[in-house]
Amino acid sequence: MKTSNIRNFSIIAHIDHGKSTLADRLIEYTGTLSSRQMEAQVLDNMDLERERGITIKAQSVRLEYMAKDGETYMLNLIDTPGHVDFTYEVSRSLAACEGALLIVDAAQGIEAQTLANVYLALDNDLEIITVINKIDLPSADPDRVKQEVEDVIGLDTSEAVLTSAKTGIGIEEVLEAIVKKVPPPQGTLEEPLCALIFDSHFDAYKGVIAYVRVINGTIKPGMKMKMMATNKTVEVTEVGVFRPTMINVSELGPGHVGFVAGSIKNVKDVRVGDTITDADKPVAQALPGYRKVTPMVYCGLYPVDTSDYDLLRDALEKLKLNDASLVFEPETSIALGFGFRCGFLGLLHMEVIQERLEREYNISLITTAPSVIYKVFKTNGEVFEIENPSRLPTPQEIEHIEEPYVKAMVIVPNDYVGVVMELSQEKRGEFKDMKYLDTTRVMITYHLPLSEIIYDYFDRLKSASRGYASLDYELIGYRASQLVKLDILLNSEIVDALSIIVHREKAIYRGRILVEKLKGIIPRQMFEIPIQAAIGNKIIARESVRAMRKDVLAKCYGGDISRKRKLLEKQKEGKKRMKQVGSVEVPQEAFMAILKID
Amino acid sequence: MMKVGLYIHIPFCQQKCLYCDFPSHANLTNLYQPYVAALCREISGLGGVLSGCIVDTIYIGGGTPTVLSVNCLSQILEQVHDSFSIEKTAEISIEANPGTVDFGKLLALRAVGVNRISFGVQTFEESLLLSIGRIHSATQGVEVVKMAQQAGFVNVNIDLMYGLPGQTTQQLSDSILQAVELDVSHISVYGLKVEDGTPFAIMQQQGALHLPDEDTDEAMYELTTQLLPQKGLARYEISNFAKIGYECHHNLKYWQYQPYIGIGAAAHSFWQKERLANMTDVAAYIRAIEQGLLPIAEREIPERSTAMAEYVFLALRTVQGMSVQKFNDYFNADFFTYYGDAIARLTGKSLILTTKDRIFLTEIGMKYGNVVFRAFLP
Repeated sequence: MKTSNIRNFSIIAHIDHGKSTLADRLIEYTGTLSSRQMEAQVLDNMDLERERGITIKAQSVRLEYMAKDGETYMLNLIDTPGHVDFTYEVSRSLAACEGALLIVDAAQGIEAQTLANVYLALDNDLEIITVINKIDLPSADPDRVKQEVEDVIGLDTSEAVLTSAKTGIGIEEVLEAIVKKVPPPQGTLEEPLCALIFDSHFDAYKGVIAYVRVINGTIKPGMKMKMMATNKTVEVTEVGVFRPTMINVSELGPGHVGFVAGSIKNVKDVRVGDTITDADKPVAQALPGYRKVTPMVYCGLYPVDTSDYDLLRDALEKLKLNDASLVFEPETSIALGFGFRCGFLGLLHMEVIQERLEREYNISLITTAPSVIYKVFKTNGEVFEIENPSRLPTPQEIEHIEEPYVKAMVIVPNDYVGVVMELSQEKRGEFKDMKYLDTTRVMITYHLPLSEIIYDYFDRLKSASRGYASLDYELIGYRASQLVKLDILLNSEIVDALSIIVHREKAIYRGRILVEKLKGIIPRQMFEIPIQAAIGNKIIARESVRAMRKDVLAKCYGGDISRKRKLLEKQKEGKKRMKQVGSVEVPQEAFMAILKID
Repeated sequence: MMKVGLYIHIPFCQQKCLYCDFPSHANLTNLYQPYVAALCREISGLGGVLSGCIVDTIYIGGGTPTVLSVNCLSQILEQVHDSFSIEKTAEISIEANPGTVDFGKLLALRAVGVNRISFGVQTFEESLLLSIGRIHSATQGVEVVKMAQQAGFVNVNIDLMYGLPGQTTQQLSDSILQAVELDVSHISVYGLKVEDGTPFAIMQQQGALHLPDEDTDEAMYELTTQLLPQKGLARYEISNFAKIGYECHHNLKYWQYQPYIGIGAAAHSFWQKERLANMTDVAAYIRAIEQGLLPIAEREIPERSTAMAEYVFLALRTVQGMSVQKFNDYFNADFFTYYGDAIARLTGKSLILTTKDRIFLTEIGMKYGNVVFRAFLP
């Protein structure tokens, strides 16, 4: 197909604004899949994605559309992850396109996430087609939302498409707009091969499959390709396209979107944002915008049953095959034994990995409270980074500590400006800016410590604003803060896995709440268990779990032994989800208790 | 000859108590006759199975066996005698609700060979009896025990409960002393457990069930275990107390891993290392028997490791604990090697004591029995 008949586009939307539903309609309308093959939200493959209604990995699909002008077009839809954790991945997916559909909910209007992604799209010079979705809702107000898009983003919405992906209104108009407005790719066959990697996955038989957008040249089996950032060269074994299942083709030419396989064992060699070129005839310069993705959030993952350690390591390795941004290394905790310190792009990424480990690999896990990376400046001039609070040196050795800060953008109805500011202030935020998006909605910008965001900022933001607030943030650098380590003692022993780093002024309050919370979580045992919070040697809070008075089955009735045995077995099963820390049995959720305070 | 116990279940009550989740039903009087006929048929069918055995305990439990007429009960016992060989000195127990017997019935029961009677008294506190849904009064409780003794029952048990809604330690103490004063040979004291699906469970959910707090509950447990032995009834199992020589032989079979055959709806058997349970639904049970089918609903031969755990935790319920030699012989295993870790851990927590040939719960171990029992589960 001529490159002039190719259109590469992406969809930008806030969660719940109907991105996946619209994508499904496009697939359906163009007959890419028969309705029998359609399963709701085709592109979200993982169970988790479907359940949570989010996209975690980028997906891609090639649609063939016979337009009203009588020509057939190849439309490549690149579906992007829709969460702040994956901003970089989104930016690379967008870089693979010439256009983007901006979906805005006709009732809710622009959200922080939308805005952040639109700016990413504009940075990548994409042609943006505004789609006002959910016009079937009684509360829909397309005109107001169009106005908002004009005022806030500065896009011309006179030709915005009104749709209801749910009921199928406006789908053809969307396809026509893509054909008419999104520019065709500019690449040429003559130039050396240059293709952008926007995602990858691991296939047990084929190795790593790179998802690519070819800019110039062609890629076909038999040639040697080189990944420029990792300097890895392999022979191309297969190329193909997504319909949306993978179908092999003989080659991918300029402007094409598809996949490339080449018996690559390690997903680390296929990095999102990297450039693939012809090893025999390489381009001089890689595509701009590549960066190595680094984790922002760390936590300890430990098997509840210590004998599951190997299982956990294997599972992490398998997950890593598909997820280059997941990092982990062995770690030992006095309380929890052998486990791993794992780094994630953000909280959602962390939760997804945890859930997959528990669900797909059936490992009962203990997760310690998430931590950011702190920079510790010691009095002896040494500087190092820690991502595990228990590693913090003694106060005497520390000159100062720096923590990561983010720029956070919150969009809320103006009624909630007060509560959002109050919350941000409480979270040590520094007010930066506030502006009205329209007469009722406000965008507030704060600089906040990342550690406060990963605690519970978003949850509290949501509840304080009755779900109306949306949040986006980006890392802006490190700043010195008055930070201290808060230790928790169970039965007078420090439990290293429960240590956290907090701001000095919040330490007492957090300590108090945390011990109270733990008191509610730790079940009563045969003896009284004191729970203390301490900073250094100073105890700042104390509670205790009273001893259980007795625990015995009164009666084995009428010889029904099985029933009693099953009851005991059930109790024992419950105990298995607890970790023996010293002489105390501690349930899994205790280690996450810190996230549920305030 | 191999000895075996018989359990015969009577799944009927005049009224269901508010805490009860046992397989028993009120308002099924129309099924009494067909049920008794079914029981007799099941018994007669088992004659062959037990041909090489001698029955040394019979326990008629419920429900409330004494809702049935003496005629019905003697019909059942006659069938038992016709179908099995019964040891001359066999213990033949029946459970009775004080509201369902009179002197005549007690005399008649003695006459058909019943030699042990167990009264579900629960408490001698009038107000508590009402609030837990019992059909009898406290006075009736006292009266029937005396009557039973007059009718010739030497071996009489009183079931008592503690941890009842609104119950005080004093009330428990009074009830225990009342039972002791009646000079019965056996007293069982059970802590109330709120079971799912009972009216009490619903009340608890709605915050309408005011159980004694844990301190009181513990005090009641302590009181029971101290007071009864002082009064001459030694504790021989976690919840059971008896004068020397009056331990319930039938119940001991459960704890000592002896075989027993359960007859009737929801009755359980332990036979040739297999655990079996009959259908719970009374009508279904009767239908099955009438059609000549086995009324068995569940059967399981526990795996070796599970069987071992059962053996241990059942034996540990008794004060004399478990004979290591008998365990080793039964399973052809070495107890101390097999359970080395658990034994060390539990001994360290002062929950168990071991001698060369015995293992038994300490006093604390009795109180935290589940901790010990769980430790032996695979």
